[in-house]
Amino acid sequence: MMNSSILISRNLCVGYNDKAVMSDINFSLEAGKILAIVGPSGCGKSTLMRVLGGLDEPLSGECELLGIKVTEAQVRQREMTLRRSGFLFQGSALFSSLTLRENVEMPMREFLGVSNLQIRQLAEYKLALVGLAEAMDKLPSEVSGGMAKRAGIARAMALDPEIIFLDEPSAGLDPISSARLDELILKVRESFGTTIVLVSHEVPSILRTADFCVYLDSDTGTMGAYAPPKDFLQPGSHPKASAFFSQIKIS
Amino acid sequence: MSHDPNSRSSALAEILSDGTTRVTISGNWSIESAVPNLIFKGDKVCLVPDNLGDFDSSLPAWLFQNFKNVRQIDISRLPPRLQSLYNLAEKSTIWESPTSPPGFIERFGVWGIESFSSWQRAMDHIGQTAVGLFRTLIGRGRVNWNDFALQLQTSGVDALPIVMLLGFLTGLIMAYVGLIQLRQVGATVYVANLVALAMTREMGALMTGIIACGRTSTSFASQLGSMNVSQESDALRALGISPVEYLAVPRILAVTLMVPLLSLFATFVGVFGGMIVACAGDLSIEQYLTQAIRAITFKSFLVGFIKSFAFAFIAAWAGCYRGYVAQRSALGVGNAATSAAVLGITLIVIADAIFAVIFNLYNF
Repeated sequence: MMNSSILISRNLCVGYNDKAVMSDINFSLEAGKILAIVGPSGCGKSTLMRVLGGLDEPLSGECELLGIKVTEAQVRQREMTLRRSGFLFQGSALFSSLTLRENVEMPMREFLGVSNLQIRQLAEYKLALVGLAEAMDKLPSEVSGGMAKRAGIARAMALDPEIIFLDEPSAGLDPISSARLDELILKVRESFGTTIVLVSHEVPSILRTADFCVYLDSDTGTMGAYAPPKDFLQPGSHPKASAFFSQIKIS
Repeated sequence: MSHDPNSRSSALAEILSDGTTRVTISGNWSIESAVPNLIFKGDKVCLVPDNLGDFDSSLPAWLFQNFKNVRQIDISRLPPRLQSLYNLAEKSTIWESPTSPPGFIERFGVWGIESFSSWQRAMDHIGQTAVGLFRTLIGRGRVNWNDFALQLQTSGVDALPIVMLLGFLTGLIMAYVGLIQLRQVGATVYVANLVALAMTREMGALMTGIIACGRTSTSFASQLGSMNVSQESDALRALGISPVEYLAVPRILAVTLMVPLLSLFATFVGVFGGMIVACAGDLSIEQYLTQAIRAITFKSFLVGFIKSFAFAFIAAWAGCYRGYVAQRSALGVGNAATSAAVLGITLIVIADAIFAVIFNLYNF
């Protein structure tokens, strides 16, 4: 399984209301790698991630996730593929009527035929992984945005997915929490071998975590570059991506 | 050492001579299959793998759950990946929910405090609404007039079909029941008086008020509750604008203007509905209309109008209030909509009873 491509995008064109936002997206990502999707605000990063994750249809092109062509797959097959992946949405998207623990337990109760005690064990462990052991019986409305985000990650990890999609995981977090989150992302990858796709604006965070970076060029509406993020720091190789990275001062 | 890929997860605890509990872990561990139950004593544990196969997060979760409170634990013999997964989990005290339910006195106390606080919030909202209405009347209120125009349409004009249908059916049912009873005493002509008087004084306003609760109050509670969730109310407060004045006042004004008009429609179609039944029975159209017009006095018309005005205010206020105090969650918004309808209908029926007493006292 290792070193095989887990996510492939072929001539993908994404947008909404039949209006193309980004086209000609081609890349393939090996299992166990971390991919960051970067670009200016409104360039279609989240839209692209939703298509890559099989949540939305592309306008054209093909996307292969976990060996399944999600763009052509039947509904059932697509659902099965989605179960093997985890999602963290921008606003965490926790179920507001459930506690953090119940939020993490929910997918387990739906898809794992194991005892309540075991589900509880797994949920507590996943919440402890993200540092929420003491807040697991709180409702989402009772915790901070950062905590909700971490709970969202715990829920995304509930079924030990092979790939996790994180939409702006560190947005709204302080630098220390953000750095801890990066550490967690790296540990999850290292320990579970999970492939991670994240959308982010945070250049320091991208440099810390990502193996590869897709830069979306809003001027041309195409993929500007696909390379390790450190390459973008060298001027000349990918001028627009380098300019975008250099605009943000790195401490 | 090779392991059987089909072997199930297992764990065995034994106490060594130095008091250490050695826990031997073996087999394949998956979140989709059951994990073993382990009962052991001691606060010094050594974890040892033996024919340990594949594992996912079920094994570190099991270790975390069983050994999180152990004072001294040796995991050095476990595979490095498992050690990393175990260490990754923050070892912190688990937030325990209270196991024993609160007693009667505690529940009574909590109920008392919550009821008092709920009354306090309601009074506060009524006060803010009154101030907002007053400021609007003197031209100093910050009111969203776009909302006002929209609500005239949605809670007024758009409600006309349902109000007319229910008003018509109410008149029809009353005439039908009245006709059966009055026929026994040979006074069927008075069915027109019955329907006309009941629709004008009572049922026109009551039915419209109840429709406003079911249709408009719930809508207001959902709208304002959702605004709470998305912090739009906070944004208004941050701008120095009272959310009650800006959001509730235009809605209350619009409903208070439109519901009395709807009530008029309901009254007329109700009388018309009664006429269809009465004329299908023993009365002619002329007889029915003559009796009906004779029965409706300006006084009874005024009673119905005052009631519809009050019911409109209650329905609109109930929706705005429940939306204003809604909890910031999808569940909270749903509860707000439900409780707005319940509160509105309850207050309307109570108000109707009070009106009945007052109008009776003053022979109105």
